[in-house]
Amino acid sequence: MRILVVEDEKPLLLQLVSRLEEEGYAVSSAADGEEGLYLGMEFAVDVAVIDLGLPNLSGIDLIKKLRGAGKDFPVLILTARSRWQDKVEGLEAGGDDYLVKPFHVEELLARLKALLRRSAGWSQAEIQCGPVALNTNTQQVTVDSKPLELTAYEYKILEYLMLHAGEVISKIDLTERIYDQDYDRDSNVIEVFIGRLRRKLDPDEKYNPIETLRGRGYRFALARSAPQESEG
Amino acid sequence: MLSLNLRVLIAASIVLVSFFGIAGLTLDRAYYVTAEEALIDRLQGQIYTLIATTGLDDNNNILISDSAADVLYFMAGPDLYAQIALNNGKRLWHSQSLDSQPLSFAVGLERNEMRFSKLKTPNGKVFAALSYGVGWDDTHRQHVFIYSVAEDLQSFQKKISSYRNKLWGLLGGVGLVLLIVQGTIMRWGLAPLQSAADELGAIENGVQHRLHRKYPGELKALTDNLNALLDHQNEHLERYRHTLGDLAHSLKTPLAVLQGSVEKSISEGELTTIVQEQVERMNQITEYQLQRAAAAGQSPLIAPISVQLISEKILSSLKKVYADKNVQVQFQVTPGLEFHGDEGDFMEVVGNLLDNAFKWCTNKVNLHIKPIEKKDLVHEGIVILVEDDGPGIPAKLVQQVTQRGVRADEGIKGHGIGLSVVQDIVQIYGGTLKISTGTLGGAGISASLVTKR
Repeated sequence: MRILVVEDEKPLLLQLVSRLEEEGYAVSSAADGEEGLYLGMEFAVDVAVIDLGLPNLSGIDLIKKLRGAGKDFPVLILTARSRWQDKVEGLEAGGDDYLVKPFHVEELLARLKALLRRSAGWSQAEIQCGPVALNTNTQQVTVDSKPLELTAYEYKILEYLMLHAGEVISKIDLTERIYDQDYDRDSNVIEVFIGRLRRKLDPDEKYNPIETLRGRGYRFALARSAPQESEG
Repeated sequence: MLSLNLRVLIAASIVLVSFFGIAGLTLDRAYYVTAEEALIDRLQGQIYTLIATTGLDDNNNILISDSAADVLYFMAGPDLYAQIALNNGKRLWHSQSLDSQPLSFAVGLERNEMRFSKLKTPNGKVFAALSYGVGWDDTHRQHVFIYSVAEDLQSFQKKISSYRNKLWGLLGGVGLVLLIVQGTIMRWGLAPLQSAADELGAIENGVQHRLHRKYPGELKALTDNLNALLDHQNEHLERYRHTLGDLAHSLKTPLAVLQGSVEKSISEGELTTIVQEQVERMNQITEYQLQRAAAAGQSPLIAPISVQLISEKILSSLKKVYADKNVQVQFQVTPGLEFHGDEGDFMEVVGNLLDNAFKWCTNKVNLHIKPIEKKDLVHEGIVILVEDDGPGIPAKLVQQVTQRGVRADEGIKGHGIGLSVVQDIVQIYGGTLKISTGTLGGAGISASLVTKR
């Protein structure tokens, strides 16, 4: 998953980026609103963490511009202003959740995971498609209730595919979301990871969980079975 | 921008000039008409005298008695211009003055017809002339004779001119005096405004804190509102000062704990725990005092806010944040209900109460806002009732949760000052906060905000 972090306080920004990368996220970061707008428009982002008090372009205006451009990824607002007028203003501008500074990083991580799940239509931490269950909080994967050991990148790919189960995800999309910008990417590595995942998830080739659609990408083919968030 | 004084002075000047102008023209015209009528009457009298002193012989020749000429001369003097002529203009008799100053009197009059005219001569003189068609009451005599008299208008015009000079001079003088008096009255009338401006200047300079002088009825509403605004600002300022003092005072304890921990030789793990606890504590203190300071309270000149509109914004925000829970909300509000207080304070009360309800509920929340029942006609305001279907607040913890920073469930991370903030705001507005079990089985919290109108 790719997270966009826009925060003008350098120490806090570095702390957030470091912690999110430790959690396995690919992170794009910006220290002002204009740069944040550029990154949000140009790159595939799954969730954004935006501070309201930004230089050049305020957090509220940044969110409005992103929404105006059709960017619908969830936004977690960071703010030192804890008054309800400020919270409502931020959420009305297009934010999906808010966190008042100072905050515990664990709370930030939990809220980000909830937003990612919610945006993919999942209301619970545990997502299940057929016999495969993945817990976004504990990062544990089971098949027919048997735990599965996955590497960091294998988990990232599986999590993304399962959250968007039934959708076609291109190789480029996957690459954008699991790798940091500076990482030397090789598109063949994705194929290798997909191959490994198939062998681990379905050694007997009973379920065929991951479909390859030539020229288009991959799709997690097993139907969702965990309770979803209802619309409206 | 023109001053009030100057505005009124200009307006009064225009009115006075217009009024005196019209009055002067009217008086001038009236005098002229009257003087002219008097002239005509005089000329008429002279004609009747002329008629009385004349007669006709059998050959229709005019006969003027000896005494008549003397009477005429005595009456009119050398300025009398008179003639008797036939209707076709043939002169039968004329005064000597006409020899040196011929005049073209009217001709062709009917019997008893009187005609007045002004005759201008080639040498530039103007005469007032009156001609009368006379016919003797005698069946044998059918002729109409024209009796005409004229008077030089020079003296008449001199009189008119003299009158006009006196008239306009007097009106001008009176007008000027009136303007001066008007200006003086205006200055006296606007003195309270100047007094208010002086007092506001004294307030700006810190010499006084509110308006003390008495003001006339028209200004009283304004000065009373200004005083209410100043009182409100002073209260707010006082609250800021107290809050700052409370903040500094409250922070000393966790700072002392931290200092003591650093000075003691304790394990890294213990130190980390203490630092985390005290940082959390200081954060709660700061948050709470900030909220207390930000509470505006009731202000006299505040525009009312729509309760429904603002509440719906908060509900919409909370539904977004708690989307996973899919909370079912029942929202009831008296149609058209307005809150005559600070929007920020209203949002803090409703926002904090609803946030707790959404956090603790299973999946149902009720929000009901209605006006305060008018038992006391002076006090008005609103009552906000929030209920949820959560576990509720145990009775022994009810008092604790309204104290600063203490929450019923210490296991939930985050700040625990929501209800304390609500209680502070309710107190500022002179209302009440009641915590009990609601109709949904969980917590039921009622907060009233009083706004005196």
